[in-house]
Amino acid sequence: MNTDEKRISIQFNLNGHDVKTEVLPGMTVLEMIRRNFKLTATKEGCGKGECGACSILFNGLPINSCLKLAATLTPSDKIVTVEGLADDELMQRIQKAYVDEGAVQCGFCIPGMTISTYSLLKKNPKPTMDEIKYALAGNICRCTGYRKIEAAVAKAAERGEK
Amino acid sequence: MSFEFYKPSNIKEASELLKNPGYVAVVGGTDTIVKVKGGFYKALKALVDLNGLFSKEIKVEGDKCIIGSACVMNNIAHNPVIVENFPALAEAALSVAAEQIRNVATIGGNVGNSSPVGDTIPALYSLEAEVNIVGGEEKRTVPINEFITGVGRNVLQPGEMIESFAIPMRKTKGAFQKLGERKALSISKINLGLSYWNDGKPHYRIGMGAVAITVLRVTKAEEFLEAAPHPLSDETIQQAAQYAIETAKPITDIRSTKEYRKQMAGVLLKRALNAIKN
Repeated sequence: MNTDEKRISIQFNLNGHDVKTEVLPGMTVLEMIRRNFKLTATKEGCGKGECGACSILFNGLPINSCLKLAATLTPSDKIVTVEGLADDELMQRIQKAYVDEGAVQCGFCIPGMTISTYSLLKKNPKPTMDEIKYALAGNICRCTGYRKIEAAVAKAAERGEK
Repeated sequence: MSFEFYKPSNIKEASELLKNPGYVAVVGGTDTIVKVKGGFYKALKALVDLNGLFSKEIKVEGDKCIIGSACVMNNIAHNPVIVENFPALAEAALSVAAEQIRNVATIGGNVGNSSPVGDTIPALYSLEAEVNIVGGEEKRTVPINEFITGVGRNVLQPGEMIESFAIPMRKTKGAFQKLGERKALSISKINLGLSYWNDGKPHYRIGMGAVAITVLRVTKAEEFLEAAPHPLSDETIQQAAQYAIETAKPITDIRSTKEYRKQMAGVLLKRALNAIKN
């Protein structure tokens, strides 16, 4: 990318803090949070919105950060990455269930998987297996297969009932 | 990847910008950004951010349901007015890609892209939707079946944008069917939207995608079904499916073969008709 390109100033809320930064016209939200803010939990897999490794919460909903241009962000937009949920009770329960079920191998897809899981359990605390599969259909894992991941989501939901 | 970025503050300003060659509109960006990264736009000069300029709402105005062009797939899929009255469109929106895409991909983008496989398009054909277009201060309305003119081509002139969609307000039954390599995220090999309503006599509308350069209406099957005794018999459904096969004029490409697509046109119509039977 050309460095003498016009830089654009943006403001938005990142993990609960109002922030300002400068971005290039073609820069995605994914590139911005990794480069400008050094938040590297969010990963680039395919870069085309098919693998879900770059999933973040945008105004409370999961999106692919690799397809969202940073320059389109406005001061009212709220972005939450896995780092922003480090102290969140539900996210911690999800992460523990992933570990307990052996759902993590290389770990590259996991930040995205847990974001999709978080979004699902937030609105549907007791999902059926079909609902789990549907909610995670936008996240690809190339190590474990999906059974352990599905089991982890079910376990996180089950533990939340107690 | 060197280009400018503009965030116009109103529709008139956006329209002026989009009159320039190489200026491309972006809202959800789920197709546009993939194309930008892939170098699809050979002469890209600028992206024009239309976020905030068009409505994301769905509302009923008189005898029409108006869907703002910035309305995202998940909002369409779960909106009570759409679910209740236009199930073909709700199912189509729910079938698009995956959760992360459905939260940002807009209906205006799906139609504006004018791909022959855009999933909401056959549903909009089946509901006789109209496209409300705005360019600067002028507005015009075009029926959906006259909007798309070819693969990736439509009637939008430089500076024109889709403002909203208008669907005649009536309670329909309907279904959306598609085939892909997997349920999520696959681009359809073929898709089909069916809507039915009865205002004293039965009406069937069938839109079929990926079987020609634009979505096709299967008028021969529609007329046949409307004249057939109700409830529809298996033989009637079989004959309608045959008309869908005859209507389909698909090609062979990376996603499927023309022979398979042609046969599946009949299968999808059969499935859709069976789905609305009760």
